[in-house]
Amino acid sequence: MKTAEQTGFFRFIMYELKPKGKIITPFNVIAGITILVAAYILFFRFKDGLGSVIHASQDLPWGLWINFNVITGVAFAGGAFVVTFMVYIMGMEKYRPIVRATVLYALLSYMFYAGALLLDLGRPWKVINPIIGNSFGISSVLFLVAWHFLLYMGSLFIEFSPTVTEWAAWKRWRKIAVKMTLAVVIFGIALSTLHQSGLGALFLMAKPKIHPLWYSEFIPLLFFISSIFAGLSLVIIMETINQRVFKQEMAFEFKSAHRSIMMSLARVCAVTMFVYLFMTILVFIHGNNFGFINTPYGYWYLVEVIGFVLIPCVIFLFGYNRRNLLLVRTAAIMAILGIVLNRLNISMIAYHWYDKGFHYPTWKEVVVSVAVIFVQILVFRWIIRRMPVYRGSPSWVKEEQHKKPQINQEKRRKLWKVSAE
Amino acid sequence: MEGFSRIDIFATKGTEYLFVIGYLVILILFWQLSTRQVALKRKIQQVLGILSASILRIPQGMFYSKNHTWTHLEESGAARVGMDDLLQHVTGEVQFSGLKAPGEIIRQGDLLTEIHQEGKHLRIFSPISGEILDTNAELAESPGLVNEDPYKKGWIYKIKPSDWKAETSSCYLADEATSWAVKELERFKDFLAVSMKKHATEPSMIVLQDGGELLDNTLAHLPPEVWKDFQQEFLGKPS
Amino acid sequence: MGLDRRSFLKTLGVAGATLTLGKSFGASADPVSDTEFYGILYDSTRCVGCQSCEFACAEEYGLPFPTEAVETGVIKSTTDKQRVVINSYSTSKGDQFIRKSCNHCNNPACASACLTKAMYKTEEGPVIWREDKCMGCRSCMISCPFDIPKFEYDSPNPKVEKCRMCYERMQNGSMPACVEVCPPEALLFGKRRDLIEIARTRIYTEPEKYHHAIYGEHEVGGTGLLTISAVPFEELGLRKDLGNTSYPEYSKTFLYSVPAVLILWPAFLLGLHNSVKERKKNKLNQEEEEQS
Repeated sequence: MKTAEQTGFFRFIMYELKPKGKIITPFNVIAGITILVAAYILFFRFKDGLGSVIHASQDLPWGLWINFNVITGVAFAGGAFVVTFMVYIMGMEKYRPIVRATVLYALLSYMFYAGALLLDLGRPWKVINPIIGNSFGISSVLFLVAWHFLLYMGSLFIEFSPTVTEWAAWKRWRKIAVKMTLAVVIFGIALSTLHQSGLGALFLMAKPKIHPLWYSEFIPLLFFISSIFAGLSLVIIMETINQRVFKQEMAFEFKSAHRSIMMSLARVCAVTMFVYLFMTILVFIHGNNFGFINTPYGYWYLVEVIGFVLIPCVIFLFGYNRRNLLLVRTAAIMAILGIVLNRLNISMIAYHWYDKGFHYPTWKEVVVSVAVIFVQILVFRWIIRRMPVYRGSPSWVKEEQHKKPQINQEKRRKLWKVSAE
Repeated sequence: MEGFSRIDIFATKGTEYLFVIGYLVILILFWQLSTRQVALKRKIQQVLGILSASILRIPQGMFYSKNHTWTHLEESGAARVGMDDLLQHVTGEVQFSGLKAPGEIIRQGDLLTEIHQEGKHLRIFSPISGEILDTNAELAESPGLVNEDPYKKGWIYKIKPSDWKAETSSCYLADEATSWAVKELERFKDFLAVSMKKHATEPSMIVLQDGGELLDNTLAHLPPEVWKDFQQEFLGKPS
Repeated sequence: MGLDRRSFLKTLGVAGATLTLGKSFGASADPVSDTEFYGILYDSTRCVGCQSCEFACAEEYGLPFPTEAVETGVIKSTTDKQRVVINSYSTSKGDQFIRKSCNHCNNPACASACLTKAMYKTEEGPVIWREDKCMGCRSCMISCPFDIPKFEYDSPNPKVEKCRMCYERMQNGSMPACVEVCPPEALLFGKRRDLIEIARTRIYTEPEKYHHAIYGEHEVGGTGLLTISAVPFEELGLRKDLGNTSYPEYSKTFLYSVPAVLILWPAFLLGLHNSVKERKKNKLNQEEEEQS
C-alpha cells in the first residue's frame, strides 16, 4: 500500500478515495437508492417547509429525526465513553482491540446525528446563534446538549486521530495526539455523562404531557445508566457484524480476542441492566404509580421493562455463564430494542398520551432516518478499509515506541552525571 | 396543594428504604451468579474443538520440561517420557519415526523422536539423560494414543535415568506446571500471530468462524513453513 | 478484581450523582429589576363571545381574520395563524366563555428552554418571540405546559406564533389591541399587582357570581394573564394539575449539577487512573523480583 510519504499527500488521498471492493453489491444498491430518495425528499423539505415531510403537529412538535436519530441514536454511541474508560482510565488492556472501532462509531454517530438534528430544525441556518454571538440561552438544556455535542465531537476526533495519523503517516502529529489522549478521554467521559443525561433532561419541563409511568425527575439519571448498556450492546452487535464483514481487515489478535471480549461485555451489560432495572423500580415506587399498571399504557410499560430490560439482563447473564455467543447476541438485540422503545415512549408514544391517537411517522421521515444511518455505515466502511482501526498499527509505530526508553536512559545518565558533579 | 389539608411529600420513603435493602441483598446474589464458572464450559469447548487453557490436561505429579515433554519416575526406578498435552493438541494426529531402540544412551536435550504429518515434521527433545529400556511399540500402529492419553498409554520411552535429581530440578511440577502451561498457550498464540503474518497465511484457517477461538490441532491446518518456525522459534527459544 | 472495583465505583458514581441532583445550590431567586410586570385580566362572566379580540389581534399582526364563530362544545385551539381564541363550554352554570392565549408566565418554561433566547421574558412582563434569533428547534413547544407556541410547519422560513401582549404598543404607551377593543370590557390591562387586587375585589364584592379563585395567581408560579370566572376552571378546559412551581424549576436540579460534574468527574477519573497505574507498576516490579 502506498503511503503518503512515498507518493505525496494529494495523490495519496486521490488513491484512497477510489472505492475498494465491488461497487454493485446488494447493500450498496439498497443504500444508494435510499440515499437518493432521501435527497429528493429533503429538497422538498427545504422548499415547502417541514410539514410537507414530517408528521409533526402542534401537539407533537418533534419528528422521527430528533426523536430517533438524535435522542435514540446518541444513546447507542455511549459505547465510546464506557470503552475508553475501561481501556485508558482502568487500564483494561483486554478491550484495546475494540477501542478504535468504538470511538470511530461514536464519532460518526455524533457527526451524522447532529446533521439529522439540523434537518429537523425549522431554520437550520440559524444554528450558528447559540454557538457564537449574544444568543446564549444558558438556562436551556438544549443549549448545554448542543455545546456538549460539539465539544464531544472534538474530543472523539482527537481520540481517533492517532489512527488517522497512522494512516497518513504523520509521525509528529501522532505523538501529539497520543499525548492528548488521557486528557481528552477524561473530558469526554464528563461530557458524555452530562449530555446523555441531558437528552433526558430535555423532557423535564414536559411533566404534564408525559405519562406518569415514564416521567419522573430521574429521567436524566435513567438515560445515563441506560446509555451504558445501550452503547455496549451496540458494540457487541457491531463487532459481530464487523468480524465477518471486515474479515480481511482484522489482524489476528483481534479475531482471537473477539469471543472473550464479547463475554466480558455481556457481563458488564448484565450488571448495568440489573442496576437500571432496580433504579426503574425505585422511581416507580417513588412516583407512587401503582394505580397506572392496570391500564393499557401500564401493560405497555411492563412490556418495555420486563420484556426488554429484565429478560435481556437474564439472557446476558446466562450467555456469559455458558459462554454462549448466540445468547449474548440475542440479549444485545433485545436490549437495543428496549432502548429504542424507551426513548420513543418518552418522546412520542407516552407524550401527549391523553390525546387522540399515536402519530405515525410518515414514510418520508423513515426514509430520511434510514438514509442517515446508511451514510454513516458507508463512511464507517470507507474508513475501516483504509485506516488501521482493526488492522493493527503500521510497523513504524512499534519502532517509535521502542525508541522511547533509550532516550530516557540517556537523559537519566546525563542527569546523574550532572548531579554528581 | 391548596394549603387547607395535610400533605405528605415523603409518603413513599419508607417503601423506598425497604426496597433498597432488598436490592442490596439481591445484588449480592446476582453478583455471585455473574461470577460463577460453569463446568459445562469445558465440555462445550472440547466438543466444539476449541483449544483453550481449560481443556489442557496437566497431571500434577509429572515433571514437564521446557521442550514440552514430560517425565515420570516409576516404583521400579525407570522413568517414562512422552509428549505433553499442549504439544499433542497443537499438532494433532502424527506419525512417529526415528524411534530409538532399547540399549541406546540418550542425553538431556537429545533428539527423542521425530513426528510427521503430511510432509511436515517436528523434532522432539528428551527431558532427561539415561539408557533406553523400552520403546512403546503400539505407537507405530496407533499413533493416536499420544492424542488420546499422552501421559499413560501414549508414553514414548522407558528410560533408566542417569541423573534424575539434577535434571528434573529444572523442570516444572504441580502448580508451577499448570501456570506455565497456560502461559505457553498464550505464547503459542503470539507466536502464531507473528509466524502467520510472516508467511502471509490466512488466519481464518485456524480460527473458529464464529467467535475467533483457536481451533484444536492448530498446526495441522498450517503450512510447513509455520512448522519450521514452530521448531526454531517456539520450541527452540523457550521462554 | 477489576470488575469488582468497577461495579463498586459505578455504584458510588450513581449515588454521588443522586446526591448532587438532590442538593439545591441556592442561586438567588430575587428579582433583578425594579420594573413590575404588566398583565391582562380576563373576566369570563363579562365576555359575550363577540370575538372582537380575535379580529383586533389579526388586524394588528396582519394575520387572516378568523372565519369560525364560537360554538359551544366545539373547542378551537390557537394556530400558527391565530394567536387568541375564544371558546364556549357547557358548564354547571350554563354556557360560559373562556379565552385561550399565551399566559405570559412569570417564569416561563418556553424562555428557559430556548437555547437562542428567541423566546424572551421582557422586563415589563410580556413573553415575546424574537424572529432574528429563532432556529426553529421547537423546544419551547415541548416545554410549555399549556401547549401554546404554534409552529409554521408549511413554511420554509417558519415562525413561532403566539400572543406577545402587543409589546410594541405597550412601549408606545398604549394597551394591547384586544383589551382596547373589547366591547363589554371583559379585558383589563395594567400592572399585575393591581389586576390581582381588582380581581379579588370583584370576587369579594359579588361572591355568588364568581368562583373564588384567580387562575394564574399561583399556577405555574404565577402568570401575566389572569382569569376569573363563574365556574371552577376545569369546567372551562383549564388544567388544574399543572402545579404551582414555575416550570424552569424542573430542569433546575439537572442544570445546577452540570458545573459540579465537570469539576468532580475529571478529578475522580485522574485519581482512578493514577491508582490503577500504581497497582500495575507494583505488580510488574513484583513479577520482575520473582523472576530474578
